[in-house]
Amino acid sequence: MLIRTPKDWELPASAVTPESLYHLSKRRDFLKALGVAGAALAAREVLAATAGFPSKVNAAYRDPALKPTAYEHITSYNNFYEFGTDKAEPKTLANRGWKTDPWTVEVTGMVNNPLKLDVNEVVEKMGGAEQRVYRLRCVEAWSMVVPWDGFQLSKLIALADPKSEAKFVKFTTFLDKKSAPGQADGNLNYPYIEGLRLDEAMNELSFIATGIYGKPIPHQNGAPLRLVVPWKYGFKSIKSIVKIELTDKQPKNTWQVLQASEYGFYANVNPTVDHPRWTQASERVIGGGLGRQKTLMFNGYEPQVASLYQGMDLKKNY
Amino acid sequence: MSTLEKLLRSKLVIWTLLVLPGLWPLWPIFLRPDASVTADPFKYVLHHLGFVACLVLATVLAFSPLRVLWPKWGVAQALNRHRRLVGVAAFVYAALHLGTHLIYEGGFEFAAIPATLKTAVGKPFQLTGLIAFTILLVLALTSLNSAIKWLGGKRWKNIHRLAYVAAGLAAYHQAAARKLFPMQVVWIFGPLVILEIARVWKQRQPKSGAAVVTPSGAARSG
Repeated sequence: MLIRTPKDWELPASAVTPESLYHLSKRRDFLKALGVAGAALAAREVLAATAGFPSKVNAAYRDPALKPTAYEHITSYNNFYEFGTDKAEPKTLANRGWKTDPWTVEVTGMVNNPLKLDVNEVVEKMGGAEQRVYRLRCVEAWSMVVPWDGFQLSKLIALADPKSEAKFVKFTTFLDKKSAPGQADGNLNYPYIEGLRLDEAMNELSFIATGIYGKPIPHQNGAPLRLVVPWKYGFKSIKSIVKIELTDKQPKNTWQVLQASEYGFYANVNPTVDHPRWTQASERVIGGGLGRQKTLMFNGYEPQVASLYQGMDLKKNY
Repeated sequence: MSTLEKLLRSKLVIWTLLVLPGLWPLWPIFLRPDASVTADPFKYVLHHLGFVACLVLATVLAFSPLRVLWPKWGVAQALNRHRRLVGVAAFVYAALHLGTHLIYEGGFEFAAIPATLKTAVGKPFQLTGLIAFTILLVLALTSLNSAIKWLGGKRWKNIHRLAYVAAGLAAYHQAAARKLFPMQVVWIFGPLVILEIARVWKQRQPKSGAAVVTPSGAARSG
């Protein structure tokens, strides 16, 4: 099946207006009735990170052989333990009044130009959003193909101008026990922490996503902005980021702290290094019916990232 | 006899109660499709079958302690008529669960099944499930009337005590199946543990009709 490259203004046929957006459109009508000015109206039109849409397709990251997963599966099958541990729970629990607008992002630590901006300002400073189609491989041995909208992480880090002693990037997600039942339960240590080596963060593939399929990213997928590192297991792609910190110490990422025997810092997709409880040699294709495929080294991104790990024992550094 | 007792004495009723959980996945996959299930329907079926196997196994093991703790309760007596049926049902669900895993993990290729089994033996989480299944297979085979006759009461009883080992292994296997410990293990096996502790405690109590030696030396039952 050929993937037709959509025009900038096109929305995919599978995109259904989420309920939260529908409710807001009533508010828009209300505001219209009050005669509120156009710019203020547009800013409130949808939940969070509205800047940058429609996004421009980046053909360099749009392999025609990659078949994108259906929008309804991407937004209904989520590991977001802040909102429950069942795959179906985040879609409901993350849309029960959790607010992601306004949302401030900090870029701080060992940088010459620390930033503290609203997420929409960040997108504007990055020159708007582009769409890239990436594979996503979960450590649980399932995979999706997601058309992300956003910007390359290296551009944001370059804007903050890291100091020479900075070696790692530490990401922190939000903490809001009133809105996030999983955080209130404490099913993991919160706030969720992730990290990358600085050269991994500066790699061309590392991406900050603010949208999916040309629309602002739904709550259950990590609104309003999340990391996407497609050559690593999905738990590295931290959601709903509030802080990006340049540091010289390797961050202790949440899953490694919880179960170091099973989850490491690097978490590179690697069919030759098993999880202690299951094999990583193959993966189930989400929405693919009977589909199962062989897992690729670095999730198929070997040309872009293999050089980062030359000489490293990936069985030890999992 | 209460209505509940009457119902539970019926093989048809028990068969229905055993088959219905197996049909449950039809609902979110076909009848009222749920995107979070149709995302990976075989994984959903795999987990569901495993859950039902654990539930049915814990249920059948609860029949005996219920009868010991409440010997006059008609419902407990009714349930104990179906120990073989429900026990074999646990085996059937475990077999379906394993079958789903073998087929799905190998990408629906039969040639891949040996490799899948080899992986299973090499990982403690999967191996415990495999051993639990093997025990249930032995128990199912020895539940035939001909097997009971051939083994004799005492040998048969000892073999069927392995059901408790299978339950322990199944509980571990279920506990290790997700990234985080799932509470459903506690709900399924917790009540059984409590019942067994109570049963063992009761069976260790001296019987009310036990002989009592009086100071005069004469035995007297009271």
